[in-house]
This record gives sequence, C-alpha cells and structure tokens, in this order.
Amino acid sequence: MADINIIHNYPKMGIPMGKLKPKRVRKNIELTLWERLYIFEIIRGMHITTIHFFLNLLGFIFPPKGKKRRIMTVYYPEEKLTLPVAYRGRPVLVMRENGTEKCVACGLCEKICPASAITIIAEEKENGERFPAAYTLDMARCVYCGYCEEVCPKEAIVMSAEYEGLARRNRQNLRFSKDKLLRPEKSVKDRIEYIRGIYAKCNY
Amino acid sequence: MVADLIESIVKILFIFGVNIGFFSPILGWVERKQSALMQDRVGANRADIFGYTLIGLFHPIADAIKVLTKEDFIPDGADRLIHTLAPFISLTPAIVAFAVIPFGGQYELFGHRVNLIIADLDVGLLFVFAFASLASFGAVLAGWSSNNNWSFLGGLRASAQMLSYEVVMGLNIIGVIMVYGTLRLSEIGAMQVNFFDWGIFLQPVGFVLFFTCAIAENKRAPFDVAEAESELVAGYFTEYSGLKFVMFWMGEFLEIVTIGGLVTTMFFGAWHLPFVSDQMLLNFFRFAGPNGAAILAILVNIITFFTKVIFFIWLQMTIRWTLPRFRYDQVMRLGWKMFLPIALINIFITGLVILVK
Amino acid sequence: MSDTAKDLHSEYMVINMGPSHPVTHGTVKFLLTLEGETIIDMKVDIGYLHRGFEKMCENGTWEQVIPYTDRLNYVSPLINNVGYALAVEKLIGIEAPQRCQYIRVIASELARISDHYTNVAASGLELGAFTAFLYFVEARELIWDLIEMLCGARVTANYVRIGGLKNDLPDGFKTKSRDVFKRCRELWADVDKLLTKNRIFIDRVRNVGVMPPEDAIAWGFTGPCLRACGIPYDVRKFHPYLVYDQMDFEVPVGETGDNFDRYLVRMEEINQSMRIVEQALDKMPTGPVNVDMPEYRWQSKDDISNRIESMIFHFKTVTEGIKPPAGEIYSAVEGANGELGFYLVSDGSGKPYKCRVRPPCFPLTAAMPKMVRGSFIADIIPTFDMINMIGGECDR
Repeated sequence: MADINIIHNYPKMGIPMGKLKPKRVRKNIELTLWERLYIFEIIRGMHITTIHFFLNLLGFIFPPKGKKRRIMTVYYPEEKLTLPVAYRGRPVLVMRENGTEKCVACGLCEKICPASAITIIAEEKENGERFPAAYTLDMARCVYCGYCEEVCPKEAIVMSAEYEGLARRNRQNLRFSKDKLLRPEKSVKDRIEYIRGIYAKCNY
Repeated sequence: MVADLIESIVKILFIFGVNIGFFSPILGWVERKQSALMQDRVGANRADIFGYTLIGLFHPIADAIKVLTKEDFIPDGADRLIHTLAPFISLTPAIVAFAVIPFGGQYELFGHRVNLIIADLDVGLLFVFAFASLASFGAVLAGWSSNNNWSFLGGLRASAQMLSYEVVMGLNIIGVIMVYGTLRLSEIGAMQVNFFDWGIFLQPVGFVLFFTCAIAENKRAPFDVAEAESELVAGYFTEYSGLKFVMFWMGEFLEIVTIGGLVTTMFFGAWHLPFVSDQMLLNFFRFAGPNGAAILAILVNIITFFTKVIFFIWLQMTIRWTLPRFRYDQVMRLGWKMFLPIALINIFITGLVILVK
Repeated sequence: MSDTAKDLHSEYMVINMGPSHPVTHGTVKFLLTLEGETIIDMKVDIGYLHRGFEKMCENGTWEQVIPYTDRLNYVSPLINNVGYALAVEKLIGIEAPQRCQYIRVIASELARISDHYTNVAASGLELGAFTAFLYFVEARELIWDLIEMLCGARVTANYVRIGGLKNDLPDGFKTKSRDVFKRCRELWADVDKLLTKNRIFIDRVRNVGVMPPEDAIAWGFTGPCLRACGIPYDVRKFHPYLVYDQMDFEVPVGETGDNFDRYLVRMEEINQSMRIVEQALDKMPTGPVNVDMPEYRWQSKDDISNRIESMIFHFKTVTEGIKPPAGEIYSAVEGANGELGFYLVSDGSGKPYKCRVRPPCFPLTAAMPKMVRGSFIADIIPTFDMINMIGGECDR
C-alpha cells in the first residue's frame, strides 16, 4: 500500500504546487461499519431501482404531459426523433426549379473530402457553363463530416436530414449517382438557411 | 383409489401447467420487462402477430421458435454423452422440487379428502435439498464436458459455490425445523395459521440467510460468478446452443419459482391470508354449500399462495438487476466466514429460546 | 513447485482472453497464464484497431486531419478536435478569439463528461451492475443531444477548425444545457447511491489494480489514473490552455491509486466538468468565433460569393491546404483519459509532414500486467475498465 499521505508529498516529487485546488475524493480507506454490513446499502440500492420501476410503470399508464411515456426511448420506425437543424445527415445535391443541379463541378468537395467519397466528371454546356456530367457519391465511404457543404461556393451540396435507406446488400449499390442525390431546393430549405446563418457572415 | 389417482393427476397437471406452461415462458418476459422498467427502458416489444405486439408477450413464442430451429452444437473433443446429459440434470430437479411444496390446505371435497400438495412426504424439506444438490451436477458436468477453458473455469466455480452454499442453507433450515418440529412442508404451512407464527417472525435471520443462499444456489446475480459473462464469457454453458441452452435457462427460471414457493411456505405463512384460517374461509363461503365452499376456499388458497410466490419472484428479479457481481473468492468468504457462523448462532439462539419456553 | 505438484503433472493454464471476449470487445487480447484463478503472467496484445492514422494524416491536408481525430478517442471526439486545432494554432502562432475559446472549453468538457459517463457505466456493466450502466447511458444520451445540437453529430463531431469553430453556439443552448444538467445530476445521484457505498462494488474495486504513485509516474500515467494515486497533475491546471485559468474548478485526487479511487475521481470530475460548462456559459463573451485570417481559416460564404479575390483564395486554400510555417511542435490537452498530446512536424507544405499522437491510454494499457499480476481473473475486469483503453486511440 502506498503512502496514503502522498498528496502532501507531491512537491517532493518535482511537481509544483501552482494554484491547484486538489480535492480528496476518497473519504475512508477502510470500510465503515455501515458499508461492512451489506444489507443496508443493498436495500438502499433496491429502493432506487424500485422507485424507477414504479415511476416508469406509471409513466406507461399515465404518460406525462406532452410525451407518450416517461422513459426517453423512441419506438424507431413508428416514431422518429426530432433532429436539430444542425444535424448532418447524408449529403444531397440541391436541384434548381428547372430540374438541373446547382453544382458547377468546381471540384472543391471532391478535393476536400477526407474519405475521397466524391467523384466528379465535369463538362461544359454550349453556353460555356460548367456542370457535372457525372457526380458520384460513395455512401460506403462518406463519413458525414460536412466539409463538402462547408467549402461549396454555390450552396449546391448540403447535408440533409436523411439517414435512412443506406443499408444495402452490395457496396456497388451505395455509389449514389446524380439522380439519386438530387433534391428539390424546397425540401432542404431549412438546412440552406442554417448554413447561411453559420457560414455566411463575415468572420462568422 | 380412483379418486386418489384423479386427484394426483389433476394436481400434477396443475403444477406442471403453472410451472412449465406459465411461469417458465412468462418469466423470460418478466425478466426483460422488469429490468427494462427498472433501467428506464422499454424492453422487448417488437415480436408481433398481425401488427399486435401485446407489450412483448409474443416474445416467448418467438424465442421458442428460434431455439427449436437452432443448430444443436456439440464442440469438437467434448464428451458427447455428458454434454447432452448435463442440461437434463440441471432442469429436472427444478421441476421435481415443486412436488413437495404445498399450495393449499386440506379440504373435504365430494366426500374425498383433498390435500393440495402433490407428494406429501414426511421428509419434504430434505427432498427439496436432495434435489437441489443434484442440480449442481448439471453445472459441473456441463463445464467439464465442454472441452473449453472458460466452461471449465465456470464449472469449477459452480461446483465450489453450490456445495458451500448448500451447507449454509442446510444449517439455515435447521432453525425452521426446530421451530416447527417437522420436516413435512404441508405441516409447516399448516402451523402458520396465526399471523404471528409466520416464519419471518420466528426466524427473521433465517429468512435473510435462506433467501440469499437460495439465490446463490440458483447462481443468479449477484452470485452469478459461475456464468459471469464479462469474465468467463458464459461460464459453464458457453458451448451450449439451442434447446440445451434453453434448458439451463428454464432450470434457472423454475428454480426462481421453487425458491419463491419455499420461502412462502417456510417464512410467509404458505397459503394463509394474514389472520384468516382455512376454517374461517370455509365458514365465509358457507352460502355455496359444503363442496362449493371447499372449491372457493381452494381457489383463495391457490391465489394467495401464488401471489406471494410472484412477489418473491419480483423481489429476486429486483435484486438481480440492482446489484453488481461478487468476486469468486468473496462469494466463498461470504458463505463460509459470514453465513456459516451466523447460521450456527441462529441455531443456538433458536434452541435457547425453545428451551426457555 | 513442490514435488507433489510435479508428480501430478500440474501446469499453468495458458488462455487467450480476447479479442472476441465480452470484456475486451474486440480491441485487445490478453494472453493469460493462470494457476487456478490466479494470474501468473499476462501479455497485452494491442493493434486490433490499427488504421494507420499517422500515415493517413500525412496524405491529407491540415484541415482533412480533423475528421480523422474524431476517430481517435471515439467516446470524447471533441477533445481530440480541440487538441489538434490547438497544436496547429501553436505551430502557426495564432490564437483563437475569446468567444471561440470559451466554446471550445464547453465542447471539451461536454466530451469529458460523456467519456466519464461511458467509462463508469461500462465498468458497472461489466461488474454486473447493469442498472447503473443504463442510468449513465441515459445521462450520456442527454449530453450527446447537447453535442448534436452544437455540432450536428453525436460522435463524429468534426466541430473545431484551425483558428476557429465550425459554427457559433446555437440558440437556446444555455437553457437546454440547464435542463440536461439537472436530469444528469439526478441520474448521477442515483448511480452514486447504487454503487459508491455498496460493499459488493467496493470489494470488487478496492485494492485492485493498485499503482503506487512513483510507479505511475515512471510508467507515464496521466489523467484520472494518475490523480487516483494522489498526484493532482492536470494539464488544465499545470499548463493552462484556452481559458481554463479563468475557470474555478477543483482537481479530484485519490489516495491509494486503486480502481476505487479511479472510479471516485471520475465521478467527481463529472461534477467539476459540469461546473466548468456552467461557468463558461455564464461568462461567455460576445464577438467572432473565427480568426480573421483567410490563409488559415476558410472565408465566409458571403465573401466567397461576392468577391472574386476571396473566391480565388478560397479555391487555393481548399485545394492546397493551409500552409503553416515549417517547424515542429508538441501541444497537449487534458483528454478524458489523460494527457492527449499532438506532435506535429510541418515542412511548410499543405500537408502535415508528421502527425504523431500521444495517446493517454497507451501507457496505461502497457501497465496492465503490472497492475493485475498475482490477482484473480475477475480483477482484470475492473482494472481494464478503469484504465479505459480506447482502441481507436491506443492503436491509431
């Protein structure tokens, strides 16, 4: 057993006092009589769990106001979590009203993606405007970091609130092409407003 | 003669139905749901038939289908015979022990004396302990025959733990035997008519010790060192699968019921309501005629008995989900150095009180 | 060995505990030599979660390393983010704005709380106290809700940027954190009542895995495990970074360096961290959260879309990466497990020349054999839980 007064010895061990505020957490080294007798603490523990048991049981029968039950579990497929607007789901491409993508295939997202999940093949229209002829997002590689959204100069790729439909039997099926990624601007309006709020101001 | 036979068959079917048909599947559900509520969870509720989940009551059925279709796995190098035999050895005592536990008094029904106990042995209490010791063979043989180091360690722990707690448990019931002067469980029950003659008032220390030892004997938390999943993977039944695994599981659950029954019989007035004797029940139900009164009284007895049993099942589950697990040497120390002396002192004091009286 | 034992051909049992064992959850293997239940010798085999973090960093830009650091200690990713960002800032020689520093303190402390919750809960679970586990998991869930509200993800935060933050504090964060902490304190009290004075728990952890303070220093212990030995070494106090010197908090210390002290230190640190978060929220200054240096922090979208110079510069910084001056630096923060250090070498290009992490749990894991030798198999569990070896951080 180490010297139990080590806390007073530590300056000797080359550690300066500084303006520390050490707080001793160990109240007793040996067991007290109360702890020595198992039964009282066991009863106290059972008291806690029994209170939880009956409160939760009552919570199912008489749910508290505004909630379906007292415990915080969400019955997933039937009920869904209310996600904060900050939530980063899977990235989607924003679609203009005429059905084309906002993306101009500048390749910044492709470059910044830490997992190299994005592949873009750029082409030019007759009027000289660039557009992605192919935009592939490998959802098996994506780590949902949100860098693509952060660097995009056109607000063309955003992190949606979608998190479903990503379980596939084949990894090839997780390579989402443009048509699977495009979402009308209306459906991701909240997110676009949010990222404008956090990234748009000078010095944020 | 025929009446005796019919009576026995009815009683056996009843107990078998209650234990195997009701308690054993439903306790799996109770364990899940109760632990969930204690832990702020919902518990299993996904098994459904046509969209109805019935708060998870279909899970026992789903479990049954699952285990019946699982591969019956015997590891390479295992002793096939003993490996197969072990779960049976473990399960049988749990079923058999309930035969000597009375669930009601004695009544006159259609001119035939009905005794609400399957086998009214005059050594009933010893019978229970004889069979409880057999159960330890199941765990030990399972551990040794599996050809797996973790199973082996689990088997070792199980044998040491169960043997030592049997000693303490045996000493515990000596106090009860001294107080009531009989080994016949139906007599012990019958003697607790008076509320203040209940075992809990005559043997309070005996009750605490007996209950603890019984949980230890059943190898449930906090005494589940033999199957401690974080230390020994699953202990002695690591290498079991499918139906054989479930037999260990069922044995454990049935033993919970048996412990509940024993504790009720020995310490909590058996089938008696507080301050109500069987004769009072018969008088109360006089309006239904002699046979009707007997039937109603039997029903009240059975309901009272099983309500108490269910309370003790609940208590065992609460203990199981509240406490952390002991360490192996601490279990041994608790058994030999704490419980054994206390049990001996208990016997001594009980003897002293009886002598003074 | 006595002659009888030799005649009986008794030998030690050599057994593999892990990697697929419930207590090692796939990230470590113990090679045990047992005599009965007593551990004669133990070898720790790590590396099951090795992903080549350092090599990955060398192939990404300085910015791209931040999501990788989320995966170091995956229970408290925000501290890793903060530690890396501070190291790069030290290399560059800039300091984040005041408000950013306060938010970083909040983020680190939330991560620390969630880490300690997980750790205490998991030790409870593995010692059989399943209920305590779920109470703390519920509390951690609430803390993660806060983190999700702050950075948009629960675990893979990717929140801190070099020279700033991804975003400012969201609206209503203070109110929500007050509600969350209230419930967390209730659950803390429940777990405290379930475990701290319960003799079954005390017997499992007391005098188990004892590490004398001198040995602990010699083995390179830091964090709660060192403080449990009675040495109040805390990077937040000894080398204050961010605004920790303006916060009022105590450093919990134990006395004997056993698992019970480690448990108590962690339980107390949860409370102290909550205090720090509340103080930081109260003192929160206004102002920007990012440095105004386009060469190190990406510019705002307004600038990018309105000024062509900004746009060109943005493309340059994103594709080439920011370019800290050549040099090398070591910077440490107080991780949930101890001193989390980043040793960075820059050759002046857009990618780290070297990014070495000093994981706090590597020295702790290395000392496992010393701590458990001579005790029982069952003692591995509380010791291994309390050193809190996180595979992602230890193996990298």
